[in-house]
Amino acid sequence: MLDLTHKRDRRQIVAFGGGGFSMERGNPLLDDYVVGLTGKVRPRVCFLPTASGDADHYVVRFYSEFATRADASHLTMFRRDRSVSDVRRHLLAQDLIYVGGGSLVSLLGVWRAHGIDQILRDAWERGIVLCGPSAGALCWFSDAITAYYSGPERVDGMGFLPWSFTAHYDSEPERRDQFHRLINAGMRPGFAADDGAAVHFIGPRLHAVLSSREGAGAVALRRGNDGVVEDRLETRYLGAKSKEVLATPPRTAPVAA
Amino acid sequence: MTGRPQTSRIAALGGHEFRTQPEELAIARHLLALTAAKRPRVCLLPTASGDPRDGITSFYSVMDRFDCEPSHISLFRLERERVDLAGHLLSQDLIYVAGGSMLNLIAIWQAHAIDRILRQAWERGILLAGQSAGAMCWFEQGITASAGKPRAAPGLGFLPGGLSVHYGRDPDRRQAFLREVANGFPGGYALDDGAGLVFEGRRPIDAFAGRRGARVVRVEADGQQAVELPLHPIPLRRELLWQPDASIAEMRGLHHRRLASGRRR
Repeated sequence: MLDLTHKRDRRQIVAFGGGGFSMERGNPLLDDYVVGLTGKVRPRVCFLPTASGDADHYVVRFYSEFATRADASHLTMFRRDRSVSDVRRHLLAQDLIYVGGGSLVSLLGVWRAHGIDQILRDAWERGIVLCGPSAGALCWFSDAITAYYSGPERVDGMGFLPWSFTAHYDSEPERRDQFHRLINAGMRPGFAADDGAAVHFIGPRLHAVLSSREGAGAVALRRGNDGVVEDRLETRYLGAKSKEVLATPPRTAPVAA
Repeated sequence: MTGRPQTSRIAALGGHEFRTQPEELAIARHLLALTAAKRPRVCLLPTASGDPRDGITSFYSVMDRFDCEPSHISLFRLERERVDLAGHLLSQDLIYVAGGSMLNLIAIWQAHAIDRILRQAWERGILLAGQSAGAMCWFEQGITASAGKPRAAPGLGFLPGGLSVHYGRDPDRRQAFLREVANGFPGGYALDDGAGLVFEGRRPIDAFAGRRGARVVRVEADGQQAVELPLHPIPLRRELLWQPDASIAEMRGLHHRRLASGRRR
């Protein structure tokens, strides 16, 4: 039976396994993709650097990337006396909310204390695109596999997406082992994304897998009859067009090598 | 870890910075002396301001002047550091909590279960200290501007009552505290920048001032009103005022050696 409900779903989340302006200097492919989803020429983009403790250098990098192409702002949770007075109104007026990486546990602690989690849920339901790398990706899921002082652990995320998730899948092998262990132990099925790969959800459903470099991708994990089943997902490399141009031999080059 | 008293102690500071001004150094020195350890192990928790690099750097540059073992724990960069939080914190003589957002401080500590480790540290006689949000966090309530305008927010409640900081400098906080106390908020203490109050168990035993005129005020409800009862903090000696800076001493030494070798030539 043809299910069209998800096509009318306005709720969008793009979770990066790693990448974007903070991790991939000079490679704007993932950032271009999320900006494109807003459908606006000059979207309103708000950066939440909470997971880094509102690190100044991170905020500066955000503005240097977004100030020219968007109506950019950021929200500090550590100097609220010097920040926007109506956080809710500010967030709900955005086209894209970009959550920075850092400590997931600290991020969730602060957001819950300020009621940001509820505001973000409302933003999501209104069709404001939500995205981010690392902790900024993990936070949206029900089960987040994060690595902090005691090694990879499962943390309750905000649960907008009813899946498990982990980031940096290709660069931190201990996350894979832990993910498999947890899936075997009955954790809900989910996804894992490499650095430079992103999973795009419309509503609770996976819509597409994108990557900013060739070879980066994502997998779906679930418990099968004989242990964990890990399926590599079809990934669209966002730089494919420019790659074709590069692949065309320059005129001066010898025809045969 | 020598000669640590078994009593639980907390030193609350109304406003203190890791800087080389004599009044700021006097406070750091006083805290180290309170540990009674020969070479105190001191851990900074800069959580309330998001573990900023400059704050951590100034802590080390000041602590390097004293005979102590400084360290810090960043709860925002744990992913790379992987420390044994409980093991590290419980081996300290002094845990110093920096200022920032009290609301965030408590929320982040609870998320990482640091609040439980700190209670253990307190019970074991490790001196807990802090300034601003790092002072209010130990009380039942603090007056914080974490969510914008100053208002009451719950702390860890190791100490009874409320605390207000930067008292003389921030009239909005003072008004908020007096209003809250008049409305039934538990009474407590107010500290100016440069003032400190030491608690043994839940009782205050020592009020001190690193800066001349810094006040320690008891705030209590009297009927429908809040009254301010000033205490008499002991001024801290500023011995470091006339002691040469370590780097200057080193430069002078170098200069003398150069002169000496020049003479020889």
